Amino acid sequence: MGDGAFLEIRNLGKRFPQRQGREPSPWVIKDLSFTVKEGEFVTIIGPSGAGKSTLLNMIAQIDVATAGEIVFQGSTIMTADPKAMRPGLDRRIGYVTQDDNLMPWRTALDNVLFALEVQGRLDDKSREHAAMLMNAVGLSGYEKYYPHELSGGMRKRAALIRTLVYDPPIILMDEPFASVDAQTRTQLQEDLLRLWSLGRKTIVFVTHDIAEAIALGDRALVLTRQPTRIAGEHMIPIPRPRNVKDIFALEGFAALYERIRAQVQ
Amino acid sequence: MTAIDPTTSLIAETPRIPRRWLVYMGRAVLAVALVLAWEAGAQSFGSVFFAHPVDVVKRIGEIAASGQLLTDIIATLRVSAFGFVIGCSVGLLLPFLLRHSERWTAAIEPYVMASQGIPKYALAPWLILWFGIGDTPKVVIVTLMVVYIVFITTFAGIRSVDQRLINMARIAGASETAVSREVIWNSLLPFFFSGLKVAMPRAVSACIVGEFLVSTDGVGHYIEHARELSDTTGVFAGIVVATALVLAINMIVEFLERRALRWRPVERDMEI
Repeated sequence: MGDGAFLEIRNLGKRFPQRQGREPSPWVIKDLSFTVKEGEFVTIIGPSGAGKSTLLNMIAQIDVATAGEIVFQGSTIMTADPKAMRPGLDRRIGYVTQDDNLMPWRTALDNVLFALEVQGRLDDKSREHAAMLMNAVGLSGYEKYYPHELSGGMRKRAALIRTLVYDPPIILMDEPFASVDAQTRTQLQEDLLRLWSLGRKTIVFVTHDIAEAIALGDRALVLTRQPTRIAGEHMIPIPRPRNVKDIFALEGFAALYERIRAQVQ
Repeated sequence: MTAIDPTTSLIAETPRIPRRWLVYMGRAVLAVALVLAWEAGAQSFGSVFFAHPVDVVKRIGEIAASGQLLTDIIATLRVSAFGFVIGCSVGLLLPFLLRHSERWTAAIEPYVMASQGIPKYALAPWLILWFGIGDTPKVVIVTLMVVYIVFITTFAGIRSVDQRLINMARIAGASETAVSREVIWNSLLPFFFSGLKVAMPRAVSACIVGEFLVSTDGVGHYIEHARELSDTTGVFAGIVVATALVLAINMIVEFLERRALRWRPVERDMEI
């Protein structure tokens, strides 16, 4: 694995606690290993029910692993004790979840500023940065809107920059664009790539959409069905900056798509 | 052949009279109907059983002029407010403390529920024995009336908090205090206000019943005194004052609720 690893997952295993009077619960994830380099955009493709969210929850420290090890920036962060979990690991791990999870009582801007606020980092400079990000994703003018007044795509954008604004070294994304229409999704993917090109954060992006995984990632990992392991790894040699809309027409896309599809069961 | 213009067929016309005014008119009609029914009752049963509305209004005018009305209202509000504030604070704080320990919650909850069954007014003689005939026994009764309602609604609110929002806040670096203040408090506010709206009229009624039993002034004292004198007009006047008091406080609670929950989506048709 070497020193190139920024995040390393070693033989990770997860089973949920046994319920009384039932068979021991099966392994959701077993012997799962992979590494992520700094500044790398890794996409993870898995069939539904493959434990994708569980995997990210464990990395984000809001769920405990049953076996294995998670090493981040050189130190082991996995713990089996729920009380010892440190969600977000002192703001070093950002997490964009499948649901936007915006706070309905905060306006779009206040949602974006929430992390800075609780971290005590809210000043003119960080406000300016937030305004820049809002502007970059087309949310200018909607600062004072409550989440229920925004469209699904706008909520996704707000949720995305809410995490980008405090600049964690790694960001986990759990099918963040799954519940929007195809056109909005393409736009969100382009937004994400543009924002990513500004900072080149390390991103672990989970999806069930093979085309999305190819369009966004430097490398795509394919997961098996439960108990989840890595079924295969694919480098994505498409040069950046990429045009998400035309990616299907690129040479090599179809072959890559087919190779991945053959592995996804 | 005429083409159907979709804009006129799909969008309802704006009503000529604004909805708001329709509601006010409805309220006014109902008020008039109630007063007429009241008067009809007074006509058929006689003023010993049913005071005439006009007499009641006159009486309220008289006690207002003499200053007794204000003294009584202040006395009742003072006791209600004390009990209300204490009951609210305990009912709010307890669930926040219990939130951190499921074992404590499981241990304490049956006692909280069982003690709810104690008839509060039956405690009055015993409370007088302990605290004398001042405000204290009444404050205790009001507190007991309020605390359960606030406790149960707050607890329901805390249990309904979206765990995903809590996780999100923690990942963003929020401390447990920040999580409580931001996520839990805001999530339970709608529950808390529903609780307040139930608890508030009960606080005032509890205070008034308390005043029947032991008092030297207050709206309840006025009603009880009138009853002793077979002064039906006085009893009715007291009841009207108590009702007005509850209405006024309810308006304040609703104003606060609207301010605190202005983020909530409002259905246009529900808005008046």
